[in-house]
Amino acid sequence: MKVTLFATCLVDMFQGDVGKAVVEVLERLGCTIDFPENQICCGQPAYNSGYVQESKNAMKKMILAFEHAEYVVSPSGSCAYMFKEYPEVFKGDAVWEPKAKALATKTYEFTEFIVDVLKIEDVGAHLEGTATYHSSCHMTRLLGVQEAPMTLLSHVKGLQYIELPGKERCCGFGGTFSVKMGNISGQMVSEKVQNVEETGADILIGADAGCLINIGGRIDRQGKPIKVMHIAEVLNCR
Amino acid sequence: MKGIIENRDTFLNKIAHQLGRTPTKNIEQPIWQYQPQDRVLKDATQDELVAVLQEQCLNINTNVVITNTAKLADTLQTVVDSFGGRSVITWKDDRFQKYGLSQLMNEQWPQANIDLYVWNSAQPEENIIQAEKANIGITISEMTLAESGTAVLFSDKDKGRSVSFLPEKSIILIPKSTIVPRMTQAARWIREKMHSGEKVASCVNFITGPSNSADIEMILVVGVHGPIKAIYIVIEDQ
Amino acid sequence: MSMKTSDDPFKNRVSKELTNTFMRGAVSSAQERFQTRRLKQADELGHWEEWRSHGEEIRQHVLANLDYYLYELSENVSKRGGHVFFAQTAQEATAYIQQIANEKQARKIVKSKSMVTEEIHLNAALEQLGCEVIETDLGEYILQVDDHEPPSHIVVPALHKNKEQIRDVFKDKQGYDKTEKPEELALYVREKLRNEYLTADIGITGCNFAIAESGSITLVTNEGNADLVTALPKTQITVMGMERIVPTFEEMEVLVSLLTRSAVGQKLTSYITTLTGIKDEGDTDGPEEFHLVIVDNGRSDILGGEFQPILQCIRCAACVNACPVYRHVGGHTYGSIYSGPVGVVLSPLLGGYEDFKELPYASTLCGACTDACPVKIPLHQLIHKHRQVIVENEGKAPVSEKLLMKAFGFGAASPSLFKMATKMASPVMSPFTKDNKISNGPGPLKAWTADRDFPAPNKENFRDWFKKRPIGGEE
Repeated sequence: MKVTLFATCLVDMFQGDVGKAVVEVLERLGCTIDFPENQICCGQPAYNSGYVQESKNAMKKMILAFEHAEYVVSPSGSCAYMFKEYPEVFKGDAVWEPKAKALATKTYEFTEFIVDVLKIEDVGAHLEGTATYHSSCHMTRLLGVQEAPMTLLSHVKGLQYIELPGKERCCGFGGTFSVKMGNISGQMVSEKVQNVEETGADILIGADAGCLINIGGRIDRQGKPIKVMHIAEVLNCR
Repeated sequence: MKGIIENRDTFLNKIAHQLGRTPTKNIEQPIWQYQPQDRVLKDATQDELVAVLQEQCLNINTNVVITNTAKLADTLQTVVDSFGGRSVITWKDDRFQKYGLSQLMNEQWPQANIDLYVWNSAQPEENIIQAEKANIGITISEMTLAESGTAVLFSDKDKGRSVSFLPEKSIILIPKSTIVPRMTQAARWIREKMHSGEKVASCVNFITGPSNSADIEMILVVGVHGPIKAIYIVIEDQ
Repeated sequence: MSMKTSDDPFKNRVSKELTNTFMRGAVSSAQERFQTRRLKQADELGHWEEWRSHGEEIRQHVLANLDYYLYELSENVSKRGGHVFFAQTAQEATAYIQQIANEKQARKIVKSKSMVTEEIHLNAALEQLGCEVIETDLGEYILQVDDHEPPSHIVVPALHKNKEQIRDVFKDKQGYDKTEKPEELALYVREKLRNEYLTADIGITGCNFAIAESGSITLVTNEGNADLVTALPKTQITVMGMERIVPTFEEMEVLVSLLTRSAVGQKLTSYITTLTGIKDEGDTDGPEEFHLVIVDNGRSDILGGEFQPILQCIRCAACVNACPVYRHVGGHTYGSIYSGPVGVVLSPLLGGYEDFKELPYASTLCGACTDACPVKIPLHQLIHKHRQVIVENEGKAPVSEKLLMKAFGFGAASPSLFKMATKMASPVMSPFTKDNKISNGPGPLKAWTADRDFPAPNKENFRDWFKKRPIGGEE
């Protein structure tokens, strides 16, 4: 099966290891990976800040970059959801609305793709440790992917799972919110890290680079002995 | 006498204009797509409803006593004693006699130094004075909602509103036959009465336990402006 | 007139409230309690999503036919002897109520909790006439005694105060000499207010839901104060936002079922009271005169536009209780009587963007509010819509940000520029990078790195790695 990877800019620039893990896991599951060089940012930072017009150019470029794809897979629920929003953005546009719809329909978040499309629940991963999981807001609430990551994690050998108190609560990332309202965001992520610590887990797993950079940044700042991993990295452990 | 209506036309014209039409005096009655309320306690028997009511009353700081018409006088006496007796106010209501309470109220209480005041539409000022100083108010539920533990009271000239909320303690008699699943049935019944030409009582009270507040540090305080204690006496009247 | 509660700039309010340790502890524990209870009630009720959809369809139907239902309501109120005054502005509403107070030569007025009267600054208008206005909801009363402090929560107005502070308010202002125990404080207020109800000339209430078919108003409380406010004084004035209406008792029941569960996690509150007209012939209690004041105050401008769904709101505050931003900054930060997500959406619409332009950015767009809303208002989408309006119509976005976003529109839209930018990120950030992380970032990153590190950009971009690696990944 050919999978076209929508890596996201955070992964491209800051979390290269996540991208590598995604590629390796999907290849191991029998997929061939295609990476359109013309992919850029999905437009979410500008779009969410209210610059809808400015973001449309980026969106069009993305629609074109992925036009050939059969399945678009992204290691971010938030960015995948942005693709799902495209039809709304181009509503009434005779040329771009149908294209946006086509893209939205074939876009999947990474764990969702493995469980719902590949129909695989056990990817044969093995990782020793106790872990807790932060469920990202856009992925769970907007995209509606809730079960897939839990299903995949439950099959990782050696991994003991502890539920995160307040797991559904936003970590305070919120894209530009994290710099625009830096002090509020800082308090939010502090509470999140406190909750992570309460679990006693030595690994924090998430499925969205933005949240992980945020929570990981706070963990680093405080020097806590907690490892932050994207779920693709966990599933890539053998 | 009809009341005066002021400024209506300009006001409604603006609304209609915003909605993109002219004001309308005719609409199609809505047909609701969802009707979840009918499912609640749909097939419950009367005995099951009593059980639901009892269970719910544990949550609303309200004791429930179950008795029958033969034992009602004794039960009421016990409850009044447990509330410290002293002074009682009741509606002017034939049902007290029907339930065999005349002897208790009119003979036993005076002997036991319990003052009884019966609501009297001829002396409004006295009614309030007496309600304000009475220790206990006794009323009768017209319809009782099992799900929420709610008594429904209709006001009229003989059934003053104040009887249920000025005294410190409230006793509500609940004929078992009045118990229905939930507020849905009460709302329908009120509408049916209305459509058959009956006037809706100027005050319909849905009372669920004693008055309370959690305004101070979210700590529940029972008894704020209305009664501090409430008890339901369910009468097996069938 | 505005619903502003503070002249302090937004940024200052944030900094101030973030240091309010008691408030933050109180808010976070209240949020958890409210959330747990709400979810438990939804679960016990069953088919919660259907209930929400039913609530939504009722509210949407009413808004689409609002003129019809308001007409029907006013006819039916009038038939039962009540007067109806339609007020397009806050001033019209307060002037009318002032006029009644004058006619009645009212000296003392008791009130039950009402957000719309806060919105139109009714108390101030009546105090101007020399009336004593007494709030009877326990929380509202506490705030009133404390020099009219604004509410910090729609349902629990004094949530930000602890019992010791409340004791001190009563001690300093009224010579209260008992302890800070909530039971003692409540008993004190009970005794203090009892006589006020009995001697008041006018009772003023808000309105949770008006019922068009019967001309009734529905009041929802736990304390029972609305019952006393409406039973004892000779004149009753009810002020309602024009959208707070349902067709019949049956829809009222559905919305009350949603409201009490979502607001306080109860199946019903202790007192749900429907009042119809003036008191009946021979009745002792109930008003001899009843005035229903229906307030527009900017609501009709929302109707028919993109923000119309906010008028579905039933003021339960479930969104407030779910909001992770409110959790940390509390209600006063919003500078409006309406706080939390509903306040973020409503305040700029009713009070103008000038005063409330920062509010739409006080959200991570996490969607918790939308999930919690019992009538399915897409709150986070409306918050996003506000940002768009601020950028595109209001021109209120900061210039630096506009330039950045223009550059974004240009840069992000050009694959070659984007690629170059991703390549440049690492060398550009290298002066700020230590141990592969940035602890004291430049520009906008400063706000980030105050509390946390930022990762250094990859030395090798993912895309370069992908291109270089052997086909199929087998090394």
